[in-house]
Amino acid sequence: MGKTIGFLLAGIAGGVLSGLFGIGGGTVLIPIFGLLLAFDQHKAQGTSLVALIPPTGLLAVIAYAKSGYVSWWTGALLIPGLFVGGIIGAKIARRMEPRRMRQVFAILMFALGAWEAMGALRR
Amino acid sequence: MSVVVLLIGLCAGIMVGLLGIGGGILIVPALVYLLHMDQHAAQGTSLFVLLPPIGLGALLEYRKKGDVDFRAGILCALGMLIGGYLGGRIAVPMSSDHLKQLFGAFLMFSALLLWSKASKKTVSTEPAVSTEGGS
Repeated sequence: MGKTIGFLLAGIAGGVLSGLFGIGGGTVLIPIFGLLLAFDQHKAQGTSLVALIPPTGLLAVIAYAKSGYVSWWTGALLIPGLFVGGIIGAKIARRMEPRRMRQVFAILMFALGAWEAMGALRR
Repeated sequence: MSVVVLLIGLCAGIMVGLLGIGGGILIVPALVYLLHMDQHAAQGTSLFVLLPPIGLGALLEYRKKGDVDFRAGILCALGMLIGGYLGGRIAVPMSSDHLKQLFGAFLMFSALLLWSKASKKTVSTEPAVSTEGGS
């Protein structure tokens, strides 16, 4: 029971950040699974993918689309690459050990965060 | 231009499989800086891209090794539907630059948190903080 509520709350937290930043929410779910619920890194990532299968961002997309903030054509072009890349990435992940994976995750996230933040400050 | 978009998709897709995330954290900065999209448009487009089950192929790979907790994932998805709406309502009225800074700060903070955990030795069997251990 406590766990059920924990998962739901993790989902709501992931969802708020997903809608706020236009991301899938896995960036939030994986640290929650890994650091608070003690999943190992592979299981945290596999479980996060489950949460990404249903169209969880539907209400958020509607909120953005109402203000004209969706580029449908660009989006449609991104989808095939995401699907194929996903399989390639998962095959690589299966061969990595969990601690190394967590480090790769952290480095990529830090680099992308710095890229975003610096761009906004430069102007 | 179309080729660039397709390549962004492929790179983000590799992150989907490798890291178990949606790829939005790559798509948003790539659309902003490579295609010069406005921050809000990049985020809206990224959310749209994540609607189809783009991670399905990756998920099946994880399942082969049993690295999936379906119950936890489905419960999270329920929460995310509600949370996503709230987040969207907060983001739309914000200024693009504030949104960008907040996004960057959030990613760097999460990265540091994970790094500190990864630097200690990872013990996957340590007891859960919230309730009883195991699943």
